[in-house]
Amino acid sequence: MTAPLLDQIPIRYKLLVLLGLSLGLGLLVSSGVALYSTYAAERQSSLRALHQIAAITSENMRAALAFHDAASAANILTPLHTNPHIRYAFVEDQQGQLLSQYRAQASTDTQAAAWRAQWQQGLLPPGKALAGQAASNPDNAQTSLHQGIEQDYHYVIYPISLDGQRIGTLGLQADNQAMYAKMRHFGILQGSASVLIFLGLLLLSWRLQLIFTRPILELIDRMRQIGQEKNYSAVLSTHHRDEFGELYRGFNAMLQEVRQRDEQLSRLARTDALTGLANRGHALETLDTMLTRAQRKGESMGLILIDVDHFKQVNDNYGHPAGDQVLRDIAGILQTNVRFYDLAARFGGEEFVLLCDAADWSATTDMAERIRSSVAAHVCQLSAGQPLQVTVSLGFAISGAALRTASDLIDAADRALYRAKQAGRNRSESAQP
Amino acid sequence: MNKSSLRWLSLLLLCANAWLAPLARASDTELQLKAVFLGRFANYVQWPHPERTPFVISVLGAPSLGEQLTRLYADKRIQGKPVLVRSVTSIHDLDMTHVLFIATPSTAARQEAIAYAQRHGILSISDSKGFADQGGVIQLNFVEQNTQIKINHDAAMKTGLHIAAPLLSIATVLRGPQP
Repeated sequence: MTAPLLDQIPIRYKLLVLLGLSLGLGLLVSSGVALYSTYAAERQSSLRALHQIAAITSENMRAALAFHDAASAANILTPLHTNPHIRYAFVEDQQGQLLSQYRAQASTDTQAAAWRAQWQQGLLPPGKALAGQAASNPDNAQTSLHQGIEQDYHYVIYPISLDGQRIGTLGLQADNQAMYAKMRHFGILQGSASVLIFLGLLLLSWRLQLIFTRPILELIDRMRQIGQEKNYSAVLSTHHRDEFGELYRGFNAMLQEVRQRDEQLSRLARTDALTGLANRGHALETLDTMLTRAQRKGESMGLILIDVDHFKQVNDNYGHPAGDQVLRDIAGILQTNVRFYDLAARFGGEEFVLLCDAADWSATTDMAERIRSSVAAHVCQLSAGQPLQVTVSLGFAISGAALRTASDLIDAADRALYRAKQAGRNRSESAQP
Repeated sequence: MNKSSLRWLSLLLLCANAWLAPLARASDTELQLKAVFLGRFANYVQWPHPERTPFVISVLGAPSLGEQLTRLYADKRIQGKPVLVRSVTSIHDLDMTHVLFIATPSTAARQEAIAYAQRHGILSISDSKGFADQGGVIQLNFVEQNTQIKINHDAAMKTGLHIAAPLLSIATVLRGPQP
């Protein structure tokens, strides 16, 4: 049950719950141990204190007991009232005859009598000597000291001897209130300290869990952002050198792969596979962009359509590989002649297009003529070894008030090309305005 | 009779006396208590010549107490010494003794015995009324089963006896005018 529940809460709360649980358990155990050891120590110290009182009182009591002096015995017991915890005390002679007794106001006769009866019937077990008492009272064993702790009182039955002979017994009974009060006090102290420590450590845990959750949450944030913006060129930076660093580096590597694949795909989508020039689609897109920019800037642009003359014959006579070679060579010539910001593209079959950015009529004419002469001068080295020369016909148009759209420009250039073909090929014609 | 059986006997006697007090003659109980107490006083008194042995208890004029003492201390020791009990009828019969119990009926004889004890470093004890006031060291009375001890501290000092504080603390102590 706990695992699915844990799976549903965020990692930071999960960490907090786990840290809190282990802290709580640790504090509980240590508090328990501390409380128990304090209880044990308090028991010992209560008994020891009562034992001391019994030792002192019995010393004073010895003469009174030796001479059966009940009045003196009563006088000796009277100061016990200064200790509010002593409930009952008695002195009896060796025959069990009561010499004197002291009873605190809080204690009842029946309680006192019941306890003394217990003692006289031998129901009180002999107490073990407390640590450190054996040396001070070496004849404990023979004189049978009794001491013990019951639920609400503790007691010492102290033998009194004269000249090596036991002459009587002093019994002291004290309530456990002092011990319980101390335990309560300690318990409250321990409890509040535990709560404070727990809260402090929980606060610390909240800070500490950030060490783990912050890099993860940051990574999630960045991933989400990249997913929304489709910005795969982003690179995530981190100072982590641990597993989180690994995670970031892994993510960056994946991004780079996506980026490379993207570029490859878009290049493939824009490029003509045979010539390596831009393809028709890309040329049309660029034409739109270039035309829009030219119009915005109040400039003109040139569009040149180039068609290989008698290309069918090249294919027929030399084979398609030779035709492909011719197309590749012409593409190379176009590429070397265009300016950096112009675009040369294969427009279809043996037809090419050249987009001359920010070019007027004269620049476009020059460009067309340069290409025509370059192709005419070029000798294709076919794979079979024989040389081949081809020519191209060119038709071009310049954008302006009459030719505003891409299709206007293309149509005009196409008509000019037609005229160049009609005029005998290997020549360039400009569109008629 | 060995030691433990005698102890049992004495315990039995004491028990019987304690519980059957109304039936027994009061003097019997008193006699036994007196015998026990005479020995116990020795725990609280230092004599001028502690080296003297055995421990001698002399009884002047109370032969029954003398017998009781003899029985009680036959195999016991006081201050680590064997106990010798002597019953005498006159102070002239007295030899070296630690404790002298004086039960002479006449005041003059008592006075004489007190003086003798004081000269010889003897602890004088009696149950006679006014004994302590006459210069006796310890006066022992039984009033309704309660013990009353009266000590003449000056007499003790003159005798050369040192009486321990615990005994003084439970006794009525007579002291002369302080210098």
